[in-house]
Amino acid sequence: MRMSYTRQLLIERPDIPKVAIGILAAMMLFGLFSVGFDQGQLFSLVEGKEAFDSNWLHEFVHDMRHAAGFPCH
Amino acid sequence: MRSLPFLLVTLVSGGVAGTILGIVNLGVVEPYIDKAIQLETQNEIRAGENVNTDEMAGYRIWQKSGEIVGGIVYGISLSSLFGIVFAYSRNSLPGNNVKVKAILLASIMCFVLFIVPSLKYPSNPPAVGDPDTIYYRQGLFVAFLVISGASALGVTAFIKKINQTVSKKVAIACTIYGAIMIVSYLAMPPNPDKISISMNLVEAFRLGSATTIVMFWESLGATYGTLWNRFNPQNLKKVTAF
Repeated sequence: MRMSYTRQLLIERPDIPKVAIGILAAMMLFGLFSVGFDQGQLFSLVEGKEAFDSNWLHEFVHDMRHAAGFPCH
Repeated sequence: MRSLPFLLVTLVSGGVAGTILGIVNLGVVEPYIDKAIQLETQNEIRAGENVNTDEMAGYRIWQKSGEIVGGIVYGISLSSLFGIVFAYSRNSLPGNNVKVKAILLASIMCFVLFIVPSLKYPSNPPAVGDPDTIYYRQGLFVAFLVISGASALGVTAFIKKINQTVSKKVAIACTIYGAIMIVSYLAMPPNPDKISISMNLVEAFRLGSATTIVMFWESLGATYGTLWNRFNPQNLKKVTAF
């Protein structure tokens, strides 16, 4: 008598989605700049030079910036 | 790998770890920031500057209200970086447990991207730092951060190519990375600003902030591993073998 059997395996396809990597890279750069480095540059895109004086974003993330070890002012 | 679960796991874990960081910072780090700002204000008043205390109080409310939001943005930005590194390195990390792998990688990234840069350019509370040197100090900080991160990546790529036991590879990696960072530490200029407030306050602030950032990285790794197991972004394909 001849016996036969089947086995099911889970195989991972090793591809890493490039679009997702691109989205994450953009979010990382934008987020780190906002929290760690902005001195009015981001808001100046819509507010003009006044953004460098009001520094709203800088002040908003001020405490987290200090706590995370970034140079602040 | 499936994009949507991968993005979901990465961004949600960063948001969760960042929220925890913001909440903990309100209790652990904020008292030191408040004290430093009080000292800064007293110094300005003594120097004869006109300080609007109502405006200052308004600023403090705005600044404190951003602690948790800032934590979430910080968390998501670092979890984005973590997700990219994890996607490419998870098969090389030791063990079979994804959660352990994620915590191990988070610990390595915390060491490379926070602890080592902090040894050269430690965090400072308000009242420390001359606004005129901010771009110079930011440049130094970024340069040291990039040297540390790039060295770690380069060393990892190198030890993957050599034919040695795992323990020897780890020893070689640590030696090369350590040598690069010691040379960089000695070669890079110091923070140009003098500290004019109590060193006890500065050191307590540094210890508090370092503790919460280490906690952040560990909670990021643990959350990432848990969510990875739950949503399974790996593109598992069922095949039938005869």
